[in-house]
Amino acid sequence: MIKSGMTETDTSPLELKPATLRSKIAVDMVGVHKWFGDFHVLRDINLRVLGGERIVICGPSGSGKSTLIRCINRLEEHQKGQIIVDGVELTDDVKKIDEIRRDVGMVFQQFNLFPHLTVLENLTLAPIWVRKMPQRAAEEIAMHYLNRVRIPEQASKYPGQLSGGQQQRVAIARALCMNPKIMLFDEPTSSLDPEMVKEVLETMMSLAADGMTMLVVTHEMGFAREVADRVLFMDEGQILEVADPETFFSNPKHERTKLFLSQILR
Amino acid sequence: MSDMAGTNDARKPFVREAPLAALPPPVRTDGVLAWLQRNLFSSPLNIGLTLVCVALLVWAVPPFVRFMLIDAVWDGASRADCLVTDARPAVGACWAFVIERINFFTYGFYPTPDRWRVDLFFLLLAVGIGWLAWLDAPARRWALVNFFVVLPIVSFILLVGWPAIGLPVVPTEQWGGILVTIVVSVVGIVFSLPLGVLLALGRRSTMPAVRLVCVVFIEFIRGVPLITILFMASLMLPLFVPDTWSPDKLLRALIGIALFASAYMAEVVRAGLQAIPRGQYEAAQALGLSYTRTMGLIVLPQALRITIPNIVNSYIALFKDTTLVFVVGIFDFLNTIEAARLDPKWSTPVTGSTGYAFAALFYFTLCMAMSRYALYMERRLDVSANR
Repeated sequence: MIKSGMTETDTSPLELKPATLRSKIAVDMVGVHKWFGDFHVLRDINLRVLGGERIVICGPSGSGKSTLIRCINRLEEHQKGQIIVDGVELTDDVKKIDEIRRDVGMVFQQFNLFPHLTVLENLTLAPIWVRKMPQRAAEEIAMHYLNRVRIPEQASKYPGQLSGGQQQRVAIARALCMNPKIMLFDEPTSSLDPEMVKEVLETMMSLAADGMTMLVVTHEMGFAREVADRVLFMDEGQILEVADPETFFSNPKHERTKLFLSQILR
Repeated sequence: MSDMAGTNDARKPFVREAPLAALPPPVRTDGVLAWLQRNLFSSPLNIGLTLVCVALLVWAVPPFVRFMLIDAVWDGASRADCLVTDARPAVGACWAFVIERINFFTYGFYPTPDRWRVDLFFLLLAVGIGWLAWLDAPARRWALVNFFVVLPIVSFILLVGWPAIGLPVVPTEQWGGILVTIVVSVVGIVFSLPLGVLLALGRRSTMPAVRLVCVVFIEFIRGVPLITILFMASLMLPLFVPDTWSPDKLLRALIGIALFASAYMAEVVRAGLQAIPRGQYEAAQALGLSYTRTMGLIVLPQALRITIPNIVNSYIALFKDTTLVFVVGIFDFLNTIEAARLDPKWSTPVTGSTGYAFAALFYFTLCMAMSRYALYMERRLDVSANR
């Protein structure tokens, strides 16, 4: 299945046009609230993400940062407020939810690859069944992105045979195969061995360099400094601070942010 | 102080200077004696257990072999050949009886000129199962279509008959023996899995009405013995439905067994569904897969794979439970043996034992085949799980 002409670098003959957003605003959250039972996990979230913007969200565990980005593709349901993704408002309308999910890629902390399918099948599954792409075309795109994350030689292996870093890169490639307009990353490096964090971050950085709209929940402050347009700090379900990385790291305003930064930056 | 302590300064931690190549594992001290010692005679308790087992084997195996093979009667035309005489002081299994009645055991009262139809059905079924079971078979997609669509239709026409194409109708009252046992088990096996999957999905559904219906169905069927369901199907149903509407007796038993098996299968499948991590659902949803696709492509393939041992367990239980159809007067394999054993023509002290030994062989062979195939399948499907 691996084409012999392909090399480690991105020299695939395939020309892929990056998906463009319909509206200038990629994600618009207005007065969003969410409860888990009695627990008020998101409290009046107002966030506007422009097309091509890279947002890094950080904060202590339990602060609601994962829940926030999981609301954007409706893996979690918000109970109050408005979430508009690329001009489409998230409601109970299943059709609209599916439409948004097609265009929003997500990468999970635990990779969540499908263990019963090969790497290539993991990548082609959604393009074939959701985008109704012919198998050959889907495989071609899959190989393009496997090249891009620099593991084309693993195409016919099963996820369980790969290292954590490789699995996460496959997961990124899987999301990219759907040609998403927005990418969500939910602590993509938190369950990786330190040695493998770098390879995943590099992949994400190259994605950012292409102008992908990204929302990234992470504690990798180096990544935030280098890539983010804005850094969000969350605590107790609220966005406490929003700033460009320079200001955020050198001159945080909120006491809670200062404390948090002093904990994670030695 | 040993040599080691002398060469290495005790205060300095050991640091390897030259890289150490991977070494082969130590040689195992194998051999028959070593194996025996380790596995059979390792402790006083183990020695005791070994001796008890040997004694049991010595007590049971020789008489069994003598009955089944050495003293067995292979040729004969009637009971006289299987009786103890001066020339024949010991009589084992009367296989002559089985050989003579084998057609009855296989077809029941299916009319003799039409028995080729049953043979053809057995052949088609064997091919269908073989095609489906052989994981590297060509065109496996068609094997599924064949087994679940073509085979049922063709079998129905073959066995029941279709006068328009020259196959006279054979009423199911004339069916019997292995034919009925196979039909009942295959129908139960084929219908219980899809029905069970639907019930299991329904029980985990977020829609309260669907969930309630599935829970009530599963709990009700599981709470009632199979015999009760068979009696209900064959005796009570006709009381409620006009005679002309009342379906065939065998069909009623088939439906009863399929429903019974699917309730159990539902719980087996549900266990598998619950073992699939939430992340799998979320990843599928995040890619935009619909509920049906998520279930069909991601969740069920994994869930069914881990439940193979339990599914086969249910199948084996179901296969043997089909013998209960005798309570509603259906002539299954065991019932034909029961009838033949009481026939005065073959009435000897060993006829019953022979018949039952034959039945045991039949059920054991098929159950063993199912369980071995399941093991093979587990090992084959395990490739993706080795992490």
